[in-house]
Amino acid sequence: MFRFLALTLGLGLVMLTGCNKSGPDSAAAPAGGAPAGKRLTVALMPKSKGNAYFVSCKQGAEQAAKDLGVELIFDGPVNPDPAKQNEIIENWITLGVDVIAAACENKDGISTALKKARDKGIKVVTYDSDANPDARDFFVNQATPEDIGNALMDEAARLCGNEGEFAIITASLTAQNMIEWQKFIEARRVAKYPGMKMVALRPCDDLKDKAQSEATTLLSAYPNLKLLMNICSPAVPGAAEAVKQAGKAGKVKVIGLGLPNENRRYVKDGATDTVILWKTVDLGYLTVQSAVALAKGELKAGATSFHSGKLGDFKIAGDNILLGEPFKFTKDNIDQFDF
Amino acid sequence: MKRHFRELSVTGALLLLLLSLAIFAPNFFEPQPLLSRLTAAAPKLVVACGIALVILCRQIDISVGSLFAVCSVSAGLLAAAKLPLPVAVIASVTLGAVGGALNGALVAGVGLPSIVVTLATMVTWREGLRLTQQGVFVNLPDGVQWFGLPMAAGQGIVCGLALAVLLALAYALRFLSVGRFVYAVGSDAEAARLAGIRPRLVTFGVFVLLGALTGLAAVMNLVQSPQVDPGTGRMLELEAIAAVVVGGVAVSGGRGNVWGVLAGFLLLACITPALTYLDVKPYWDKAIQGAVILLAIVADGVRRRKLNR
Repeated sequence: MFRFLALTLGLGLVMLTGCNKSGPDSAAAPAGGAPAGKRLTVALMPKSKGNAYFVSCKQGAEQAAKDLGVELIFDGPVNPDPAKQNEIIENWITLGVDVIAAACENKDGISTALKKARDKGIKVVTYDSDANPDARDFFVNQATPEDIGNALMDEAARLCGNEGEFAIITASLTAQNMIEWQKFIEARRVAKYPGMKMVALRPCDDLKDKAQSEATTLLSAYPNLKLLMNICSPAVPGAAEAVKQAGKAGKVKVIGLGLPNENRRYVKDGATDTVILWKTVDLGYLTVQSAVALAKGELKAGATSFHSGKLGDFKIAGDNILLGEPFKFTKDNIDQFDF
Repeated sequence: MKRHFRELSVTGALLLLLLSLAIFAPNFFEPQPLLSRLTAAAPKLVVACGIALVILCRQIDISVGSLFAVCSVSAGLLAAAKLPLPVAVIASVTLGAVGGALNGALVAGVGLPSIVVTLATMVTWREGLRLTQQGVFVNLPDGVQWFGLPMAAGQGIVCGLALAVLLALAYALRFLSVGRFVYAVGSDAEAARLAGIRPRLVTFGVFVLLGALTGLAAVMNLVQSPQVDPGTGRMLELEAIAAVVVGGVAVSGGRGNVWGVLAGFLLLACITPALTYLDVKPYWDKAIQGAVILLAIVADGVRRRKLNR
């Protein structure tokens, strides 16, 4: 009996901590030039709010909310959790927000909830990761997998002088987005850089320390290696540290997808050559700008371009608002970015 | 010979693996990467030794990975706030011991099953950390990496610490009465109590020790790069438990020693890099590790059935 009690208690504890319901971080925008009466409310959802990437998106979103004089609610699961995302959307429907902007953890999972929101007259945009097309009005597309694959492969080839061996460090062998990127990296390699040879692919479980060990091993197992391409963010500083410790900084190039703050020291001392990403702050800004324009009826289906406040004009392809080419952070520009 | 058959067979397997690497991939023994890998593995070995004590006591702790991350980030933040490194070290070990004491108190004091208690603390530590740190790396100031010493000296200290922990635990388990208490409690807590040992105190003690070792390991890991990844330690509990089980420590408690743990740990730790050197597709990695663990458990099961007959 006691064991059973203890078990239920313990499990209860886990459930409680797993689904802790923390209040939304409400970022109230100053009244500014907003018209009197009810202000427009934008609800912005990250995949998980404990993630530096989405925190920097939020920065841009707050700026846009301030510029436009709208209310911004930022809330999402603590961990990437599709069920929790649905729950929050349901709450927002009850709350009666004007427009929802969501980064979707699970395409099918969230689409039902988003459709329900649309039925209630709430406008929906997605950003970062899309829902099903019929569940939203627009998708703010930060970079297509093809853009990313091309940017990585082009940069690798440029640094290696179009020939030589390189290895890829990924998060896991099953992560769908990374498999997609690898496909485009390989396609680009075959099409444009036959002199480049991919000799190994290693997973690092999305951990910096593990990436460091993997890179250390790769450097010794493949002595002719000219470049390490890291397609998950913790792997970039991990690989750079390994290259430094092996005394091969500058000789073996390091590039990858990552955040400026995590890579700043290595980019500045030359161990890492290029960090590729989009401007996440701009992504947050553009998302809120387009969400508000949509709610106000200024942005309609069929538009081919969109003017986003201080950032200027963006192309729209179908129902995708394009943020543009991936951005390259290098020694020369990395100090202009803080996220 | 027969008594240590289990430890010896794991050591044999390890030597076999190393021998085949020497033949097919001599690069594996290049000094710089080898030393780097050993240094990176040293903190995990310390945690594995701590887990071995808990398993010898017939308990389990799956919260060490999360506790490791909490200690790493806390020590990192203290170091980043320009506090002297020894302060950060002491704080990390203390925090680890407190975390271990919490588990110990709930298991030994309240009498809750350790798997549930540590499942709860595992989730709590990890989520709490995610909430406060938001996944952001901690950038350490200069002079923290390798304790502010040249790399070789720092690596020497880290590996030396792991060796010291290993020797101390091996000695204590073999020759000190508290060490024998651990075996006694793990074999039969009631008999141990009748013999005048206080099983609950011993159980509490091993949890605290595991926590403190986890805090120490966090620092040993932290000095190896200039940044702390708050995701660090994820799956560490599984790696450590696997090493302990492969090393011949009985999950039913009371049997095994740290030398077996060392052999099991090295065997598992060599598999991943070995596959890279041998140019085997990474898809095999976890499958092979799993097979080794399964083999170890089956060997134990067969042995137990023979003993019972």
